[in-house]
Amino acid sequence: MKIFKLLLLLIALALGTTATVMYSGIVNVAADEPHSDFVYWLLEETRNNSIKKAAQHIEVPNLEDAELLLMGGADYEFMCSSCHLKPGQSESDMSLGLYPAPPNLAVSNDEHKGHEHGDENQADRNNFWVIKHGIKASGMPAWGKTHDDQRIWAMVAFIKRLPTLSPEQYQILTAVE
Amino acid sequence: MKTSLIKTVSKIALVLIPTITLSMAATAHDPKMHAKKAVKADCSKMDHSKMDMKDPVVIAMMKKCKKQAKAPHAKMDHSKMGKMGKKMDHNKTKDIDDKSNKKESHDHH
Ligand code: HEC
Ligand SMILES: [Cu+2]
Repeated sequence: MKIFKLLLLLIALALGTTATVMYSGIVNVAADEPHSDFVYWLLEETRNNSIKKAAQHIEVPNLEDAELLLMGGADYEFMCSSCHLKPGQSESDMSLGLYPAPPNLAVSNDEHKGHEHGDENQADRNNFWVIKHGIKASGMPAWGKTHDDQRIWAMVAFIKRLPTLSPEQYQILTAVE
Repeated sequence: MKTSLIKTVSKIALVLIPTITLSMAATAHDPKMHAKKAVKADCSKMDHSKMDMKDPVVIAMMKKCKKQAKAPHAKMDHSKMGKMGKKMDHNKTKDIDDKSNKKESHDHH
């Protein structure tokens, strides 16, 4: 009986806290104010586990392909580089202004810490899923609504090689006349 | 008993609420510009001595530069549009969808 009462009280408290937080307007949604460490951790874990689970059965095609790189390169330069940067560029309006910040995909995974990437196949899978479906309440759009799977795999192939590219190589691969 | 319970609960609340809402810090930003144009691949900078001909990146660069050399200044090489052409497909599809949707709704009137 005591335990029951305690539980009830805790539930009431939880609901009360939630309602207070929601309706008081105390939560700052400004993108130029980072989350507290705790909230950041909460969202990051939720995000990583969600992507991992959703992507786990995706089959990764052969990504070592020149045509894929060319297709993905042109798309990347046009659609992604403003947020995810390119070799020789370390910041942009979007990379600085968005929160959560878009990871710099032109540097290797080890250089942008903060979340797990799993093994190589898992990283490709995750990337495919993220590009196709986007990430809620972040600047990352779902490109699958307007692009077929092949073009998304092309971008996955491209960003897999992106950290190894020099600015000159990048320019050649992505140039569209 | 009751009072100690309420004390515990309010202690929890006192700890939880500030943790969730506080401890935020801002960082300074200095935005930069970026421009986007149709550009030619700058193939003059390719360093052939260092190239591994089996690397897909190298193959892709060779392809791009060869294609460009063949079709200088033509705005678009339609013969080779294969995959590039797909880029426009979704725009078209949307238009068609929109139109057919409208048509349908009119037919029903
Ligand atoms: C408007 C800015 C924006 C654009 C444009 C954009 N992204 Fe993103 N992207 C983001 C943000 C922000 C995140 C991080 C979201 C998060 O952490 O919750 C992200 C995350 C990602 C991730 C996950 C990276 C990781 O390691 O977790 C991939 C992959 C990605 N984007 C690929 C792309 C590709 C490919 C394109 C172009 C087709 C693209 N993005 C276009 C903003 C953008
Ligand atoms: Cu990452």
